[in-house]
Amino acid sequence: MTVAAGIGYALLALGPSLALFVTVISKKPFLILTVLSSTLLWLVSLIVLSGFWRPFLPLNSAASWPFAVLIITSVAFQEGLRLLFWKVYKRLEDMLDAFADRVSKPRLYPTDKMLIALAGGLGHGAAHAVFFCLSVLTPAFGPATFFADQCPKLPFFLVSSIIALAFATIHTFSMVIAFNGYSDGNKLDQLFVPVVHLVTGMVVRTCCWSYYCNF
Amino acid sequence: MESSILESIGVEIIGVMSPVSICMLLVVLIVYSLSPAADLAPPIRSAANLVYLEVPTDSTTQKLEGALLNALVFVIIIAVVTFLLLLLYYYNCTGFLKNYMRFSTFFVLGSMGGSIFLSIIQHFSIPVDSITCFVLLFNFTIVGVLSVFSSGIPIFLRQAYMVALGIFVAAWFTKLPEWTTWALLVALAVYDLVAVLAPGGPLKLLVELSQSRDEELPALIYEARPTVSADPRNQVRSMELLFGTALQSGSVEMQPISGDHIGTREGGEHNVHPELIEAQSMNSSNSEDHLQDRDEVERSPLVGGGLGRRQSSGSSGSEYSVVVGSREPPEIVVVADEERSPLVDSRRHGNANERAVRRMDDDDDDDSDSVLASSGIKLGLGDFIFYSVLVGRAAMYDLMTVYACYLAIISGLGCTLILLSVCRQALPALPISIALGVVFYFLTRLLMEPFVVGTATNLLMF
Repeated sequence: MTVAAGIGYALLALGPSLALFVTVISKKPFLILTVLSSTLLWLVSLIVLSGFWRPFLPLNSAASWPFAVLIITSVAFQEGLRLLFWKVYKRLEDMLDAFADRVSKPRLYPTDKMLIALAGGLGHGAAHAVFFCLSVLTPAFGPATFFADQCPKLPFFLVSSIIALAFATIHTFSMVIAFNGYSDGNKLDQLFVPVVHLVTGMVVRTCCWSYYCNF
Repeated sequence: MESSILESIGVEIIGVMSPVSICMLLVVLIVYSLSPAADLAPPIRSAANLVYLEVPTDSTTQKLEGALLNALVFVIIIAVVTFLLLLLYYYNCTGFLKNYMRFSTFFVLGSMGGSIFLSIIQHFSIPVDSITCFVLLFNFTIVGVLSVFSSGIPIFLRQAYMVALGIFVAAWFTKLPEWTTWALLVALAVYDLVAVLAPGGPLKLLVELSQSRDEELPALIYEARPTVSADPRNQVRSMELLFGTALQSGSVEMQPISGDHIGTREGGEHNVHPELIEAQSMNSSNSEDHLQDRDEVERSPLVGGGLGRRQSSGSSGSEYSVVVGSREPPEIVVVADEERSPLVDSRRHGNANERAVRRMDDDDDDDSDSVLASSGIKLGLGDFIFYSVLVGRAAMYDLMTVYACYLAIISGLGCTLILLSVCRQALPALPISIALGVVFYFLTRLLMEPFVVGTATNLLMF
């Protein structure tokens, strides 16, 4: 639906992430590098998952259990990767502290650690929005629009952008919560993040479309 | 509260990655806005197409063989021209080289830039008359030639024109057919690796020649000068320190700080082969005028290699551009290779402006004003071009491949920069990025796209 609508959908999905990026992250070059590397990690995880699922595609969309399995495996893999990210981050933190000692500067403040976690989460969230929403958005720049079965009253692109926005927020802040949980040893925080991720993934597919889309 | 280290780490890397990203973004935009017209054009014969002209109806094996032959011929042409450049440099024909580079910059900006501007004007139906257009283009070109090779031009303008040059040549390269482009990229990455690192490679010879003469080489490079920060202490090469301490290399000793290294260092501030990255050391050896903590940092022996002079190896390169003679297939085109003229003159004068601002880093030496300028990393223009060609070609398929290739190239560039801070010699910038880019392109196209598009259209997100 024209370039304006296409840009609108893109900004809907990525607006808050862009605002976060410009105000917080662009000021510190190290955080920009963190965003880029976490985006790359998310992309690699997506490639591995798609490599695993490629022989089974296209899935039969009538039955819903293949989709449930898909989501469970994907979420499990990504949460595992988050743990890996945490381990790498711990090593990085040691390197940074050693560097700080060498140049006689203070070590990493707690806000710095949270900023790094935020940047990591933002990388994941932005990657999600880009790969799941923006890449299917190209037809929206043209003259027409498209409606999906689940929600016949809203254009498909709008629904997809709103979901991408929600997921970007979840990814961004769950990284902060998870890192805080891992560093403090807080089991509740550590469990909160994968559970939220899984529940959101399942709910988006299966539940309540008719309720929410009934305008 | 003192500023944390997070403020300053990684500035140099971002200083190189931003222009690369901007170049790639603009090439993708140009490809997207102009590509429908290009498909209808008959295939152009150029130096990259000399042997085999790809036609969509050929069989796969034919295309593959043809593409490989094309790539081989192109690499041979580039190698021959690099040896020619080596010969000219050996016989001290620097005046000729400089003027040739001025001419080729003029030519690229005028003709390739002009044709891109014309296509944009046609595509978007911008109402501008031809005389205005000609005058504007002429001014643009002349300012470009001046900014690339003369002194007294602000660094930002020079960087912008470098990026513009990269964009124009890359946009031209994307007009090549698909198989040829991929074969060419892979072949050039391999050539780059061999030419820079192997003992008989032309670029390695050029580096050694220029170092032995303490001169600059004519080449077009992008130098990412860091912005002036309030705290000069932070401009220490943090990446070096970071990875130096990480590697715990206790056996690295301080680099000898002596007078003759000034020459080397300034000699190193010159032009680098497009495929090389050169890291410059920022600190001067005469530390009397420095701040106290700089001295501490400089003398700390455990720092990887110390903060003394870094051997900077410059190497020449020629940027090869091929000119389209005509659109008729049988006509052969002229291969123009561009060479670059030394940057050191411009740097010396340009630094005079910066000296007032960066007094604290200043040195007693007369020729130390190049110290001020030299803390940036240098990336050759050929790297810009071939990264953008890869991303532009990915853009012709789908947006997802663009993102994947962009991330792959940026991460390859980051790895190369980290390697640079560890190895401290001239390194080829193409191989890692191109390898990652090609791998990610094919993985995304074959594996990821069906998966992601399938799940996204079913509103199945995780």
